[in-house]
Amino acid sequence: MMEIRGLNKSFGGNIAVRDFSLEIEDDEYLTLLGPSGSGKSTLLRLIAGLERPDTGAIVLDGKTVTGTPPHLRGLGFVQQKYGLFPHMSVFDNVAFGLRYRQIDPVSDQRTVNDRVERMLELVGLEEFGDRMVGEISGGQRQRVSLARTLICEPRICLLDEPLGALDANLRERMTVELRRIRSALGVTFMHVTGNEAEALAMGDRMIVLDAGRAIQVDTPHDIFSRPANVQVARFLNAYNILSGSGQGGAFETAGARLAMPPGVSGAVHYVFRFDNVAICDPDSRGQSGSAQMEAEFIASEFLGSRVVYFFRRPDGGVIEAEKHLSAVDPRGMRQGEKRILRWPVENVLLYGKGGGMLRHEPVLEVAQ
Amino acid sequence: MSAVTHDIPEEAGRESFWRRNLHFFLLAPGVAWMVLFLIVPLVMMVYVSFWTQTTFAINSTLTTKSWAAFFGSETYYGALIRTLRLWLTVLVLTFLAGYPTALFIGRFVRNKTLQTVLLVTCVIPFWTSFLIRVLAWRPMLGKEGAINIVLEKLGLISGPIEVLLFTELSVIIGMVQIYVVFMVGPIAFMLARIDDSLIEAARDLGATPLTIFRKIIFPLSLPGVVVGAIFVSVMVLGEFATASALSGRKVNLLGNIIVTQVGSLKWAFAAVAGVVLTAVMAVVITGLLRLVNLQREL
Amino acid sequence: MHHLVGLRWLLGLYTALFIAFLYGPFAVMAILSFQQGPEGGPQFPIREWSTFWYQHVMGLAPPSRIAPLPIAEALTRSLSLAFATMVVSTVLGTLTAQAFRTRFKGSGVVFYLVVLGMMVPGVLLGLGMALVADQLGIDRSWWGTAFVLHVVYTYPFAFLVMLAIFNRFDRSVEEAAWSLGVPPARTFRKVTFPMIFPGVLSAMLFALTLSYDEFPRTLFTAGSDVTMPIAIYGTFAVEIHPNLFAFGILTTLFSFAVLTVYGILMGLSTRRARARFSDMQEDIA
Repeated sequence: MMEIRGLNKSFGGNIAVRDFSLEIEDDEYLTLLGPSGSGKSTLLRLIAGLERPDTGAIVLDGKTVTGTPPHLRGLGFVQQKYGLFPHMSVFDNVAFGLRYRQIDPVSDQRTVNDRVERMLELVGLEEFGDRMVGEISGGQRQRVSLARTLICEPRICLLDEPLGALDANLRERMTVELRRIRSALGVTFMHVTGNEAEALAMGDRMIVLDAGRAIQVDTPHDIFSRPANVQVARFLNAYNILSGSGQGGAFETAGARLAMPPGVSGAVHYVFRFDNVAICDPDSRGQSGSAQMEAEFIASEFLGSRVVYFFRRPDGGVIEAEKHLSAVDPRGMRQGEKRILRWPVENVLLYGKGGGMLRHEPVLEVAQ
Repeated sequence: MSAVTHDIPEEAGRESFWRRNLHFFLLAPGVAWMVLFLIVPLVMMVYVSFWTQTTFAINSTLTTKSWAAFFGSETYYGALIRTLRLWLTVLVLTFLAGYPTALFIGRFVRNKTLQTVLLVTCVIPFWTSFLIRVLAWRPMLGKEGAINIVLEKLGLISGPIEVLLFTELSVIIGMVQIYVVFMVGPIAFMLARIDDSLIEAARDLGATPLTIFRKIIFPLSLPGVVVGAIFVSVMVLGEFATASALSGRKVNLLGNIIVTQVGSLKWAFAAVAGVVLTAVMAVVITGLLRLVNLQREL
Repeated sequence: MHHLVGLRWLLGLYTALFIAFLYGPFAVMAILSFQQGPEGGPQFPIREWSTFWYQHVMGLAPPSRIAPLPIAEALTRSLSLAFATMVVSTVLGTLTAQAFRTRFKGSGVVFYLVVLGMMVPGVLLGLGMALVADQLGIDRSWWGTAFVLHVVYTYPFAFLVMLAIFNRFDRSVEEAAWSLGVPPARTFRKVTFPMIFPGVLSAMLFALTLSYDEFPRTLFTAGSDVTMPIAIYGTFAVEIHPNLFAFGILTTLFSFAVLTVYGILMGLSTRRARARFSDMQEDIA
C-alpha cells in the first residue's frame, strides 16, 4: 500500500503539483484524468522518484521513500514514449531489469529465460524475442515496455499515457489487454491519461486532476454521475454547463430562465448531461418536471453508435444533445431551424461560486 | 525479502550523497585540469612580464622595464600593428572566399551524402602535417614555382612574378588556404540547418532571391560566421610558423617575437608580448561572442 | 527558381576552383616528392623522377649529407602522446558534458573555462607552461608538460562534441532503466554508453588528430625529446628537402586509411541504428 501525503512541486515558480494526497490500495486499477498541463506527468515522476518533491512524503508499506532514488523504490514506470533500449533485442529489453537491477538481480540464465518467455507470452509477443526493437510495430513496443516493467514485479506500476501513441484500433485492443494483464498479475496500476473515456472505462478508481490538485477521487461511475466540481464536469466532456445565477427556484442565464431543483441557493453553474436533452418541436407544449430552452440547430456529428447535435443558445453559446442510434429521433433538421430543448429538472446539477457541487435531494416531487 | 527492505534507508542515504554531489564529481576533474594547466600558466605569464630580465635569467623583482622596452621599440609594437593588420586581412579574406563555397554546399547541394563528401574533400588536406602544408607553398609561389611556370607557359607573363614568395602577400595566401576551411565548415553547417519551408514561405510572399538572402539566409548563418571567425582569429593571432616559413623571416608577428625571445632566454620580454597578445585575443573573442551565444547554438 | 540555376552553376564552378586552391600546394608537394635525390631540391624543375625521398624517409636510402627525419623516435612519441591525449580528453569531455545535462549554478563559468582551452593561442599556453615549469624546477617533457597542454587543447573539442551528442540523447531511456531498479552507474555502462558510442568515437578522433599535429603548445614544453611536428619545425631553420614532402604524402595516405576504417565503422553503426530507429520514429510521429 502506498500513501502520498501533501505532495508539492513547482518548477521555477510554476506550480505543477499542489498539496496532493492519496492512498493507493494493493491490486487495484487506478486511473488519473487530467488535461495537459494539469501536472499528471509530474505527479507520476514524483512517485517514481525521477523528480524530488518540494514538500510532502511518499510512504510505501510504512517506509518513507520520498528521498529514495528510482532504482531502489521497487516501482514500475511505463513511459509514454516507451523508452526502449534501441541497441537490444526484445528479449534483452525484457530481461534487462531482472539481470541488472541492484536489489535481488537474477543471474541464472535459465531462470531469466523462463521468466522472460512467460512474460512475453503474457503480452502476446512470444514470437518476437529475437527481433530488435526497431523491427516491431508501435503496439508491440508498447507491450515490450509493459513486459519489461512487469517482469520486475513492481509493487505499483505507473503508466504515463500508455495508449497515447497508439492508433484508435490498437487503443481499444490494448484497453482490454491492460485490464487482463493487470488482473492476471494482481499488480496495482496507476494509469495517467488525458482521455476521459479511457479513464472512465479502465479504472476501478479514478482521480481527476486540475492545476496540480486532485479535485475528485471516486469510482468512475460516481464521478461520471455526480461530478464533485464543475471542473470535473467540464473534463468529462458529457455535460452542458451554463453560467448565471440561481434565484427563487429559477436559474437566470443570458437570455433564458430555467427551472431548477428546489432548495438550493447560490448556484452559478447549471449543469446537465448531453444525453438528458430531448429535442422537441418549437410549438410543443412544456412539460412539468422539465426545464426548457429554445435553441437553433447548428450541426450534428455522427459517432457510430450515437449522434451528437449542436445547438446555439440565445446568448450564442452551444448546447449539445446526444442520442443513441437505437433511440434516435429520425426527423431531419436544417441549419438555423429552431427547436425546443428539454431536460428533466431532477437530473440538473448545480454548482456554487467555488465550483463545488451544491447538494440537493434527488427530486421526486416535482418543483412548483 | 525482509533483509532487502531493511537495507533501503541506509542505501538511500549513501545514494543520495552521490546524487547530491554528482555535479561536483563530474566537473571536478575537468575544472581542476583547466585551472592548473590553463589558468595558472596564463596568470604566471602576466606575473613574469613584470619581472626583471637580466642577460640570461630572470628574477622576481617587480619592474615595468620590459613593458617600457616593448612599447618603446618600433620593432615590437610594429609587430603588434602588423599582427592586427594581417589578422584582419586574413579574417576578411577567409570569409569572402569561404562563404560562397559554404553557400553552395549548405544550400545548393540537396543530397546529404554529396554534402558530406564535399565537406570531407575540404578537410582532407588537413590530414597532412600543418608544417608540411606551409612548406608546400614554397615550390608553389617561388620564382621558379608552379604558379610562375604555369603563367609563363600560358604566355600571360614574360618574367616570373617575384612578389609571390617571401613577402607579406605569401604569408596571407598561405594563411587563407590553411584556415579558410574553419570558416566554411561552421557556415555550411548553419546553412544546411535552415528550414526549407521558411524560404518557400518567403518566396510565396514574393521576396526576391536577394531579399531572401539578406533577410533570412545570411542572418541565420551568422552564428556559423562567428564561430568560424573565432576559429580563424584564434589561430591567426597565435601564428608564427607560417610567417617565418613564407616570409623568409621578414614578417614578424607577436608570435614570432615570443618564439625568438624564448629562444634567447628573454622570458620576461616574451611574457610581455604574450600578455599583449592575450589582451588582443580577449578583446577579439569577447567582441565576437557578443554577436552570438555559443552555448545556445549547440 | 529559374534565375537561380545560373547562380547554382556559378557557385558550383567557384567551389571547384576553391577546392583546386585547397589542393594546389598538395599536388605540387606530391609531384616534388618524386624529385631526384639527394641533390634535387624542393623546387621545380624535376630533374628526374625517382622514389629516392620515400626511401630516405623509410631509412632505406644510402647515407648522404641530408640527415634522415627522426621518424622512429619522434613518430612513436607523437603517436603515444596523441593516444594518451585522446583517452584523457575524451573521458574528461564526457564527464563534463554529462554534468551539463542537468542545469546547475555556474554552468556558464564552467562552460567558458573549458572552451577557453581551445581559444587561447597555443604559443601563449606553451610560454606560460614553460614559465611555470621553470619556476617550479620541473623538467619539461613531452609526456608531462606537453601532454597536459595537449589535453587543455583537445578536451574542449571532446566536450563540445559530447555536449551535442547528449543534446540529442533521449533521457527517457535512462529513466526507464532506473525505474527497472538498475542503478545509475550500471545504467550508464549498459545503456547510455552503447548509445552514445558513435559520438565518443568522433570525439576521440578529433582529439587524436589535433594532438598528433599539435605544434605551438609543444614547442616550448616538449623538452629535448622532440615530437614529429617539432622535428619538422627543426628543419625550417636549416635547408628543407623533398623528404618532408614524401613524409607528408605518406602520412596523408596513412590518415586516409584511418579515416576509411572510421567511416566504415560509423557507417555500419549508423546503418544498424537506423534500421532500429527508423520505424520507431515513424510510429511516434
